Amino acid sequence: MSLPASHSGSALRLDGIRKNYGSLRALDGLSLEVPRGSIFGLVGPNGAGKTTTFAIMCGLLQPDSGAVSVLGGGPFSPRTMRGRLTALPQDAALGRDLTVTDLLTYLGRLQGIPRGQIRSEVARILKLVDLADRAQSRAKTLSHGMLRRVGIGQAFLGNPELVLLDEPTNGLDPRQAHEIRQFIATQRGHRAVVISSHNLHEIETICDRMALIDHGRLVRAGTISEITGQNEEVCITLGAGPAPLELLKAALAPDIVAWEEAARTFRISYRSNAGHEAEEVIGAALRVLLENGARISTVERGQSLERAFLELPNTASPPAL
Amino acid sequence: MFGPTPLRDIFLVAGFELREMVRSRRAALFTALYLLVAAMGSYFFVWILTHVEPPRPPPRRSVFSASARPDPVVVNSDKPEEKRLFERGSPFRMIVTGSINEQAAVDFLVAQSPITLFHFLISLSMLPLVIMITSSESIAQEHQTRGVRFIGMRTGRAEFVIGKLLGQGATIAGMTLLAGGVCIAVAWWKLGDFEFFPALGSILLFWPRLLAYCIAFLGLAGLCSMSSTSTVASRTFSLVGVVFLWIMNHFAEFYQSGVPADDPHARAWHFIQFFSPFSHQNDLWYPEFSRYGYAMGSLVLLAVIYVALGLAFYRKRDL
Repeated sequence: MSLPASHSGSALRLDGIRKNYGSLRALDGLSLEVPRGSIFGLVGPNGAGKTTTFAIMCGLLQPDSGAVSVLGGGPFSPRTMRGRLTALPQDAALGRDLTVTDLLTYLGRLQGIPRGQIRSEVARILKLVDLADRAQSRAKTLSHGMLRRVGIGQAFLGNPELVLLDEPTNGLDPRQAHEIRQFIATQRGHRAVVISSHNLHEIETICDRMALIDHGRLVRAGTISEITGQNEEVCITLGAGPAPLELLKAALAPDIVAWEEAARTFRISYRSNAGHEAEEVIGAALRVLLENGARISTVERGQSLERAFLELPNTASPPAL
Repeated sequence: MFGPTPLRDIFLVAGFELREMVRSRRAALFTALYLLVAAMGSYFFVWILTHVEPPRPPPRRSVFSASARPDPVVVNSDKPEEKRLFERGSPFRMIVTGSINEQAAVDFLVAQSPITLFHFLISLSMLPLVIMITSSESIAQEHQTRGVRFIGMRTGRAEFVIGKLLGQGATIAGMTLLAGGVCIAVAWWKLGDFEFFPALGSILLFWPRLLAYCIAFLGLAGLCSMSSTSTVASRTFSLVGVVFLWIMNHFAEFYQSGVPADDPHARAWHFIQFFSPFSHQNDLWYPEFSRYGYAMGSLVLLAVIYVALGLAFYRKRDL
């Protein structure tokens, strides 16, 4: 099944992908599109099909039906697209008896990096993942976090146009995770990066688009601001003291104001349009609250991705075959 | 200079496999075991040569003229100590030449350095098992650790498999040469009049035959490895497979020995027997190229068949 030429501009496109493992349906007609140069998050609960989706994107698994288009050229094939797509697979171990330099050299050479450039390229990657001092260490002597960094490094060997990272910061200490996130963020505009992660804060911080999948189906996709409602909702949390709900409702009508007693939070939903932006809503709400003696603790635009994730409809059971 | 090509990928994978094997503790252990057996075997062989079968005066040919298998080799006391192992009545001679029914083949073997024949014999006996244990895990382990996912995006599956097997083959080639060297070294050390260069010549004469034999088992190990996702399953398949082929070959031989040559079942068994590498082992001892060359060709063909079968499955499987 070929895709229309109009989609050749996307870095990656999946159309109605189905994949079964025996009687278990892992992907159930999944469709999504990753624009070139974007940082794209793939989110879903355990068993949602994220790793299967990744493996199909890389050509490691064959879908039972549906179409895959990688960089506008059909399903990924190492013979024709070598070096243009790279990935950090989940839970995959690199050879343990060779040195980090040997491993990266091997993978880089297989990827098509010329012999004359491979040394400098490996040195660049080792510096990037902060492992230059372990270049001659055997892989089996490295910690889990270090191996993870080697894995991330190999995904950025050469100049790939599409990089797939499955749980990239899993097992890294906070400083390393932060550095890796910062590095990934710098790739925006240079190459498309797809990140699968359970760390919603990470997705929210570095991605500009995301897709939520569950039970092998696409539940929601869009920009981060669309999904978190950054232009549709304001949350104001109060400290101890009065919470003038009715006054606030009257002042902000027709916007919807809800009060969450446990969190002592006002959630104000508004329709974004010209002249009625978040700043205006926040200003009006704070004026009412301060005039009525409320003690304001925090003000946030939109909801966190975690909250958006939790509020999405939960498909209770996996689809039957 | 050259862009990525399948051949380049095969050699890259093979080189990496070779380096991994050299550094792998498991491969080192089995190589050490094989070399130890070769060294100890050679030592005892030479010990038997010098203690159990002391030099005897040359027998007169006329004395043995009634023998069922006349020996055209002129035996004399000027022979090096090692060669006297082939004196008439030597148990070793009977073992080595026992299954050879042709005089020309016996003459050919008697002309070789006995220590190299011992090396060939011990290698033919041990290597199928060593290969099945060490090589059958090569591809399956990549699946078990999912390390194959790093490679699968960078090269074709056929290049990966062939490269892996080529790397294993190179390891085995080096290992067998090294074992031959160990045997020669032991004989040189223990026998004062050991002839080094003829022994080296004999090793090199039999080495390609040994490699062809090993390649067939390597192909079988590859088939088992490609069909498995865990090292335990792969090793089990390999060991069961090699035992099955051994039994099949001996059963076919047993059946054919008891029926006329034109028996239709005998012909069927002869055909089935072809697919067991063990059935070609005997022909590797013969001097005629038509015979050992056919056996070598058959063994390489078997390896190709095993690998092609494995690849037919492997190209479609999920990595």
